[in-house]
Amino acid sequence: MKFTSNPTELGQEKVGKLLVRYALPSIIAMTASSIYHITDSIFIGHGVGALALSGLAITFPLMNLAAAFGSLVGAGSATLLSIRLGQKDYESANAILGNALTLNVLIGLSFSILSFIFLDPILYFFGASEVTLPYARDFMEVILLGNVITHLYFGLNAMLRSSGRPEKSMFATVATVVINLILNPLFIFGFQWGIKGSAWATVISQVVMLVWQLKFFSNKSGFIHLQRKTFKLQKQIVTDALSIGMSPFLMNAVSCLIVIVINQALLRTGGDLAVGAYGIVNRIAYLFIMVVVGLNQGMQPIAGYNFGARLYKRVNEVLKITTILATGVTTFGFLFANLFPEAFASMFTNDRELIELSVNGLRIVFLSYPIIGFQMVTANFFQSIGMVGKAIFMSLSRQLLFLLPCLLIFPRLWGINGVWFSMPAADLISSIVAAVLLTQHFRQFKRKELEEENVRQEPR
Amino acid sequence: MGTNFVVNIGRQQGSGGRQIGQLLADQLAIPFYDKELITLAAKQSGLQEEVFERADEKSRYTLTGGLLGLKGPALDMGFSRNYLWNELLFKIQSDVIRELGYEKSCIFVGRCADYILRDHPRALNLFISADLNDRIERVMVNYKLTSKEKATDLIERMDKRRAGYYNYYTNKKWGTAESYHLCINSSVLGIKGTANFIEGFVKQKFQ
Repeated sequence: MKFTSNPTELGQEKVGKLLVRYALPSIIAMTASSIYHITDSIFIGHGVGALALSGLAITFPLMNLAAAFGSLVGAGSATLLSIRLGQKDYESANAILGNALTLNVLIGLSFSILSFIFLDPILYFFGASEVTLPYARDFMEVILLGNVITHLYFGLNAMLRSSGRPEKSMFATVATVVINLILNPLFIFGFQWGIKGSAWATVISQVVMLVWQLKFFSNKSGFIHLQRKTFKLQKQIVTDALSIGMSPFLMNAVSCLIVIVINQALLRTGGDLAVGAYGIVNRIAYLFIMVVVGLNQGMQPIAGYNFGARLYKRVNEVLKITTILATGVTTFGFLFANLFPEAFASMFTNDRELIELSVNGLRIVFLSYPIIGFQMVTANFFQSIGMVGKAIFMSLSRQLLFLLPCLLIFPRLWGINGVWFSMPAADLISSIVAAVLLTQHFRQFKRKELEEENVRQEPR
Repeated sequence: MGTNFVVNIGRQQGSGGRQIGQLLADQLAIPFYDKELITLAAKQSGLQEEVFERADEKSRYTLTGGLLGLKGPALDMGFSRNYLWNELLFKIQSDVIRELGYEKSCIFVGRCADYILRDHPRALNLFISADLNDRIERVMVNYKLTSKEKATDLIERMDKRRAGYYNYYTNKKWGTAESYHLCINSSVLGIKGTANFIEGFVKQKFQ
């Protein structure tokens, strides 16, 4: 989970035990964030209405983009911070903390201003209609007002994690979810603020936790704390941080693009409610996907270390266990989505038409879920063992080479079902790619393993 | 620790820094660490040497490399770190340097040892440069290159790489005077002469 210079336990401890220890915190944080998104949608769906869910779904790409800019700063500064802390170089670490804060303010502010100026055209481009635009605009206006806070909150949370306080970061994550859970019904049902209420709940929960974070980082007895003189940007820190953040930024930007294309296609083929249905399907899919992401993050250090130590048996073992668990989770999702799609959909809305659209979407989109766990774990596996090129290829090809063309062609042939079917189709192709790459890799791997065995047996 | 001291040598490619370090180590009768650090780091961590070799004195990030995502934490951020990340390898290697530096007198070449041992009470940090022609000649011999152009290319590439590595991990500037206690051009006195000169410098400081 974090840098440790005595990583040998990764080569000795039981693999299953290690996986639980390394994956559990990630899974908890990921699930918390899924629950946050789901409850947000539930309150909006029941408290504001079916079309408000469509309005909300239109804001997904814009929120993705904001998150992309957040990761541009966050990933890099967190990495730099842990390097400096690893060297007990607190002066540089403080400079990085201060610079990251400044960068977050600058980027968050620019993003807000630009999005505010072009808000309507952006939302139309993202799949809004005259009917859904007001909801999307109401929601986004509040979110954009608080955007700098959001950036600072996520930025400082990343800093907490890399400064060896993952438990603090997890507490902050869970706390925002809980505060949001309390404020959402109060604002929507109590104050009748509509979709705006939900946005205010989000912003306020982040304000509260940001204050808490700032208090933590202002403690002068801590190893790192905020100092005024560190806010001035340093060229070296900025370029290093942004270079590291560039690839997570691009990955996020690509998902933003994909969601735009999906929204547009759904609006064309199924109207406003179809966009809302995607909002529901997306939230439920996210719940299962995020658990796999958490598992993956737990697998990374274990696979990476053992690969580097040539303990290939353990590499295989962790890959196998993770794949089985991930497949279990996504298959569970598949079963639920196909057995009880009604129950899922009506959690979010009472609207008959929206429920039917969502049920149809759920059934189709989850078709590929029994294999998608395998695909995700494989991509992550390649990344863990340092074959980053293959990992990037796998995730980019899934989105750009397979999903994008499907989304452009299928809807023309089969209408709204074409949009839904694009997703399992792309998953299927990319799972095949994953299987090919993995088999290829294993051939070399097996050979190496045999060599290792021979070498090891000799001295005994 | 008491009378222990360390000498950290930064050097331009082809400046003869390694040879000078070796000579100095022989004359002072203390151990000398260059590539040996890789073996030690591997042993310490249980990882293979090749893992460290691949990462040796390379910084990972360039703007274009980051853009292609070939060198970055591409798929997710935050909760976990790839265990073969160069940052971790740097940490392991720097722990080895710290351990050695505090345990006995020794000489380190490259690998940000001056930064890693910045709190060491008895450390001298040197930077060795040389005239370009001398460097080209030395590189041609050491790497068995036939053309001057190839040698110049290699020199430029390696210096850029070392500077990138140093600046990335230390937040200081590689090769600028304020980062070191002594900067010396080995072309002036030659390899042997420079080693002797430094020996005098070291002795005067630590006696």
